[in-house]
Amino acid sequence: MKSTRRITALVVAIAATALAAVAGIASAAPAGGMTASAPAGSTSSAATTVRIWTDGDRKAAVDRVAGAWARSRGVDVEVVLKDFGSIRNDLSKVTAETGPDVILGAHDWTGELAAGGLVVPLTLKTTVKAQLPSYTLNAFSYGTAVKRLYGTPVVVENIGLVVNTKLAKVPTSFANLEQQALAFKKKKSGNLAIAVQQGSGGDAYHMYPFFSGLGGYVFGTTRAGTLNPKDIGLKSPKFLANAPLIDRWNKEGLINSKIDGTTAQNAFLKGQAAFWITGPWNIDTIKKAGIKFKVVQVPRIKYRSAPFLGVNGFMVTKFAAQHGVQSLAKDLVTSYFARPSAQLALSQANGRYPANIAAGKLVTDTYLKQFGAASVGGVPMPNIPQMASVWSELGGAWVKSTKGSGATRARTSFTVAARNIANKIG
Amino acid sequence: MTSTAARTKPPAAAPDIEWGMPSRIIASFSGTAGLIVKLALLALMNAVVVWAAIILAQQQKWIALVVVAAATVAIDLVYLSKRSVPLKFLIPGTVFLIVFQVIPILYTVNVAFQQYSVGHIVTRDEAITAIEQNSLEQPPDGKTYTMTPAKDASGGLVLLLADDQSGNVFVGTRDGLESLPKDALKRDEFGLVTAAAGYKILKGQELVGIDTALSNYTVPTGGSSAIRAEGLDTALEMRPTLRYDEQANTFTRISNGTVFRDDGKGSFVAGEEELEPGWRTYKGFANFTSIATDPLIRKPFLRVLVWTVGFAVFTVLASFFIGLFLAIVLDKPDMRFRKLYRALIFLPFAIPGFLVLLIWAGLLNDDFGVANQVFHLHIPWLFDPWWAKVSVIMVGVWMTVPYFFLVSLGALQSIPNELVEAARVDGAGPFQVFRKITLPLLLVAVTPLLIASFAFNFNDFGKIYLLTGGGPASEDQGVAGATDILISYTYKLAFAAGKGTDYALASTVSIFIFLIVALISTVLFWRSKSLESLS
Repeated sequence: MKSTRRITALVVAIAATALAAVAGIASAAPAGGMTASAPAGSTSSAATTVRIWTDGDRKAAVDRVAGAWARSRGVDVEVVLKDFGSIRNDLSKVTAETGPDVILGAHDWTGELAAGGLVVPLTLKTTVKAQLPSYTLNAFSYGTAVKRLYGTPVVVENIGLVVNTKLAKVPTSFANLEQQALAFKKKKSGNLAIAVQQGSGGDAYHMYPFFSGLGGYVFGTTRAGTLNPKDIGLKSPKFLANAPLIDRWNKEGLINSKIDGTTAQNAFLKGQAAFWITGPWNIDTIKKAGIKFKVVQVPRIKYRSAPFLGVNGFMVTKFAAQHGVQSLAKDLVTSYFARPSAQLALSQANGRYPANIAAGKLVTDTYLKQFGAASVGGVPMPNIPQMASVWSELGGAWVKSTKGSGATRARTSFTVAARNIANKIG
Repeated sequence: MTSTAARTKPPAAAPDIEWGMPSRIIASFSGTAGLIVKLALLALMNAVVVWAAIILAQQQKWIALVVVAAATVAIDLVYLSKRSVPLKFLIPGTVFLIVFQVIPILYTVNVAFQQYSVGHIVTRDEAITAIEQNSLEQPPDGKTYTMTPAKDASGGLVLLLADDQSGNVFVGTRDGLESLPKDALKRDEFGLVTAAAGYKILKGQELVGIDTALSNYTVPTGGSSAIRAEGLDTALEMRPTLRYDEQANTFTRISNGTVFRDDGKGSFVAGEEELEPGWRTYKGFANFTSIATDPLIRKPFLRVLVWTVGFAVFTVLASFFIGLFLAIVLDKPDMRFRKLYRALIFLPFAIPGFLVLLIWAGLLNDDFGVANQVFHLHIPWLFDPWWAKVSVIMVGVWMTVPYFFLVSLGALQSIPNELVEAARVDGAGPFQVFRKITLPLLLVAVTPLLIASFAFNFNDFGKIYLLTGGGPASEDQGVAGATDILISYTYKLAFAAGKGTDYALASTVSIFIFLIVALISTVLFWRSKSLESLS
């Protein structure tokens, strides 16, 4: 009895395993077939696929634009939805099988990705280049020895000074802004002069117009035109000479580091601030609150108060060559995504300004146009990987110098920050 | 489990059915139902392994394949045979231990010996290809072409190239450029060649099929310059600025002859200059020694360590005593609304931690936070180095008290009432009873939890990151902020310094942190053994 039961058990076990194995092979076969044939660059009729990583906001637009390209070329595209930030992080961890051929990325990832050998250099046609502002191309260019382009710029974003036109007039100069803002602050307790977000962690991005307006910069450039991580502009004599103005603003309460993102937004929406420094991502929020507003560039302080520019675009990864679709991927990125129609579709997807000049002329949204105008003379965020050492230090220097009573003198805090950055870069 | 369950029951008449609940459940599964479940699970596991084996074989990972196959056969044998009953219980635990503990630890240690950071991600071969590709530049008089890939009479790939400036059309082969007469071809309005006598233009699937060949195609134009395809309808004249010498394993800059050598740490370097990208490789103990020698790490290390220990110890002890106090107060059975009080005290524990921290960060905002506004205070909660420390501990205690309240409540109930009564009879006051009887007995049960809580707080990255971000930055103390604990400082070093992410350094420091926590915990456990002798 016992032995027969054991034999039955064994037979059942073997049969089950065999069955499972067949099922396993059947399910694994298609996947296996693809990985086996892809690197060879198969000429068979099995459709070639170009895989694109994109974020949620622009998935539908990328689907449409890349889909149209794919039909014209007789290939397939697979558009993979990713959280925007994880496109950057995952690219260094993904294997060739699941790796993308094309990614949507931010220009300030360029240094990290190119220095890691994860994206390949591109060259745009002269006719295509002429359609894109040179700063957007610069934003995607990187190289310590030879500077090369690693992405096709698609959309541009920047912050501006949002003025509640019921509570204040569009400032004619920085002195006028200062006077209006301080007068508004005095009117009622709880009012803010300028709602610009910092918080205890600091926010170098939103403070940049003030920084550049005082003559500050992050990295200087080498003779070859590449960013020089040894030249740290937080302690440039020009900026330090103007830094005492920060101490004055702190004393007056024009800028206060205790205002964080939520505080700034709430104050502006509730009418407790007439001036808010923010970007196009908040256009809908302001509209919904029923506020009449106009967006301008922060008025010139000692120099042009240029904002940081963020450029998004498409890059071709190292996986494209491994998948045998590099020429296809380059065709998509360097010519198709650069077209005005493609750029307009992609920029409308998340309400940003298109990089393509012709597409820019087709923008109809009043506020987006105003943000576009506020970007003039803007500085692309440095795209070299050393920028990782800068953000918290530059933000921290502002926090320390604009925290109200007990604040550190700006000259000191920015000099210390510059030294810390130099130490961190090593 | 079985033994405790058995102990609570008085010995029954028939000892062979005196089983605990778990045993009975197991027993009920050893029949046919159990056999079917067992076989189904084994078959499922085998199916997954077969699937994995196919993939491993395709990727030619033979060692992994052998290990997986051997392990599977071993597991099948153990569960299908009647012998080796203890193994049947040991295997699942062991497998999970290996998968979730041993492998991550080994992986971390392995990474700690590597050069693995921004700029050192890809393999060496990939890096060399990338350096060569990145080094291409357009010569000053470099031409751009509108390109049409085609096949010549013998079926070989050629590029039909229309010069964007002059408009002249050439045929580009591996041997160089040859002029094409204008009357032999047709062009569209963009200048693209659409037909050429003697050549077959590649379109659609044919074009897709030659992708790799096209990417690697070069048409030499004299010197080191060559025309290369860029996409499907553009070609450019490019020349390399660096030359790789496979024999010598060096890169040479063509313009001035600078030689870049392999530095053994994943880069080609010449003096200060380093070629990008580098590659991921092993570099021995360099990460470990850098912790001792790099002033950026070494200088603030002691200050951060002292604060980390202080923060963890203080948070745990304060939480424990407050929790214990509340537990004793609420241990009176005749108190009204006792359950309501208990629920209220438990509440902070039930809200997700990251939410609590973000709410507290808002509450403690100096000028706009509720804490200062309601009490008309002007305390710089998050902006002063000392107050920030107070805030971190305060919020930490607020979050941990409920835990120790619950634990103490349970532990107090397990202390036999006779002991307390006996002490009372002997004339001990309430405080003496607490100090001599209740607390020591309580500590026996709670000490392991205190140690665990200490280890948790020691590494509680989220609390620091979400509440203060490690800040505020103190005047002259470098990268570490006033409230940075070791793990958040590590994060700043490994992910927000230098060129950004440095996985290897992060792994190294986490090994150090593991050693510190292990050392402190071991000492504490060893000390707490002396408490156990009490019971």
